[in-house]
Amino acid sequence: MSSMEEREIELLIGPQHPASGHMRLVAKVDGDVVVELRPNIGYVHRSVEKLAEVKKYLQIIPLVERPSLADTTANNLAYVMAVEKLLGIDPPERAKYLRTLLAEINRIHSHLYGLGIHGVMIGSSTAYMWCFGDREPFLELAQELTGARLTYSYIIPGGVRRDLPAGFGERAERVLRYMENRMKDYFDLYFNNPVVRARLEGVGVLSRDDAIRLGVTGPNLRASGVAYDVRRAEPYAAYPELEFDVVTEQAGDSFARVMVRVREIVESMRIIRQVLRKIPEGPILHENYEKLIPPKLREEMKRRGMVKFPSVFANLRVPAGEAISRVEGGRGEVVFHIVSDGKLSPYRMRMVTPSFRNVILFEHLTRGVRVADIPAIYGSLDYFPPEADR
Amino acid sequence: MDIIGLLFEPYIFIPLVFPGLIAAFILLLIIIWLERKIAAKVQLRYGPLYVLKPLGGVIQTVADLLRYLFQEPIIPKGVDRIAFLMTPVFLFGLAYLPLVAIPVSPTYYAFRSDVSLLLVLALTTLAPIFTVLMGWASNNKFSLIGGVREGYLVISYEIPMFLSALSMALLYNSLDLVEIAEAQRRIWGALLNPVAALTMLLLMYMSTSRFPFEIPEAESEIVAGPYTEYSGIIYGLVMGASYVKLYVLSLVYSILFLGGWNPLPSNDAILAGTILFIKAFLLVAIGAFLRAVYPRFRIDQAIGIGWKIAFPLSLISILLSLSLIIGGVSLVG
Repeated sequence: MSSMEEREIELLIGPQHPASGHMRLVAKVDGDVVVELRPNIGYVHRSVEKLAEVKKYLQIIPLVERPSLADTTANNLAYVMAVEKLLGIDPPERAKYLRTLLAEINRIHSHLYGLGIHGVMIGSSTAYMWCFGDREPFLELAQELTGARLTYSYIIPGGVRRDLPAGFGERAERVLRYMENRMKDYFDLYFNNPVVRARLEGVGVLSRDDAIRLGVTGPNLRASGVAYDVRRAEPYAAYPELEFDVVTEQAGDSFARVMVRVREIVESMRIIRQVLRKIPEGPILHENYEKLIPPKLREEMKRRGMVKFPSVFANLRVPAGEAISRVEGGRGEVVFHIVSDGKLSPYRMRMVTPSFRNVILFEHLTRGVRVADIPAIYGSLDYFPPEADR
Repeated sequence: MDIIGLLFEPYIFIPLVFPGLIAAFILLLIIIWLERKIAAKVQLRYGPLYVLKPLGGVIQTVADLLRYLFQEPIIPKGVDRIAFLMTPVFLFGLAYLPLVAIPVSPTYYAFRSDVSLLLVLALTTLAPIFTVLMGWASNNKFSLIGGVREGYLVISYEIPMFLSALSMALLYNSLDLVEIAEAQRRIWGALLNPVAALTMLLLMYMSTSRFPFEIPEAESEIVAGPYTEYSGIIYGLVMGASYVKLYVLSLVYSILFLGGWNPLPSNDAILAGTILFIKAFLLVAIGAFLRAVYPRFRIDQAIGIGWKIAFPLSLISILLSLSLIIGGVSLVG
């Protein structure tokens, strides 16, 4: 054993490494083979959970968005759903559809972000540029809908902040058609590229049993053949009324994980089309809150399609109790647990982010692979370091 | 007057000016610009734009070179100073040294030898030694691994590359690059022995770290491999060396397979040199374009390609050459 130990080199990948993100991977390598890889995630401490205990309920909305910048809507939605459970209210139908719409736009550009990062990690700068370039139309759609580019803070207790802008449907349709055309290019140049296939197929295989045992979530779980999706398992927002397939792949390798995300983009586009077709007319804020708004402001709000917060909203008081909410984010299941003691801030807030549950995979999947497989597996997990450390 | 006359003597002019160091530098500048421009085209963006705007930022690379020149070269503590500083110089020098043995036209050459092909191949083999030394001298684990990876690769690409080049020498019955080019007056080598042409092209890009074989300096895996600790102009030298090596091998490839200065039968050194340069330039440009298409292979896959695909192919190319000779294809004369 001692001679084996001498053969091994401890390689510190990150936190300042082109492919490490904000974290450090402690790798033990024997030649070109990884003997052990331990992720050291604590380099972007955000202490969101602790900060939430001293902030008011509305102030927490932008706070919980921060840990997962590429996928803010999922955290926003999950948090608001937990608050709504405590408040005992249900948002109006139109607001539910708008929430779904934003969540799916967000899922697409979150997946494109992940695919782009994955591309550059195996050396394809073209995939990186394409994916990041094609995020742009979706970011613009979201910007048009919410007024913000990345951290939308769009979903508020009782509804959403803005109504659908005029002409949004046609513009969205144009973006979707553009993306469908681009998908062909992606497959021609990237996904059907023999080098990409050689780098991804059979690399970092996660078996179905291991995926379940390790508590993996999101596309990484579905790539191992488990058809688990919170949107189906515990429907929320407008999902019960929409048709979509839960995408699964059987292989469980890096390529399957990438493929699940690509196919989910297609499903998300399908959902967006349905939402735009089916969206009902009606208010976007719960009547309890709407009637708190002074009549003059309420009229202006209806005219402009933007919610002006009534001042009482800032001091939103949530009844004592506990609530748990679950949402399917771009990277997997987001869980919020709020304990309220009836004061202005939550007594305790706990969030479980998908990247934190997926970080365990680094150690599991990288045993015995090559050094070059580390970034390939890292990228295929769509791991977002700030999301793990909250 | 005598000095100018001396400058145009082939043994000075060829290694220093054309197709020597200065041509290599100009090609380096153009190719890096072209590489960024082509990649930008594929990736739906502009690429270099502002330096000399009317020509699409063509001298951006000159600006980059100036920046490299005036950037502080940082020498980390704990490196082997002499090896750290000298290896880039040797690497670059050895990358372009084979140019002395490459003829420009049947009558214009710096150094004619019966074994000039062997000379060129032998000199190109020396450069990787310095890459490995560089990785060792940097005293950094990423550099060390990068250097070792280069070492692995060298073994797997050198042998089949030599075999496929020598299979052509067999066919032409000569190791003299002038004779080899002259033998292709009627038909080019690539048509006679396409297997050798394909193998050598593949291995040429592999040996100069083009995509998908950009393995020693894979930035997402081992930062910049052997070059991790380098900065400033010494980094410029090591990065330039692989392009210069690609240029040299492209010249050799053009002479071996693409008829050299043919199809225009010319004893005019300028015309012949231009044709040769254009062919080499195209080969280098193809190498630059590959960046836009491929990600990079894993090292074991690249070594596998070297031994499982290129090596048998190079053996087949030798058999093909032998059968052509037995079949009575006569090229010489």
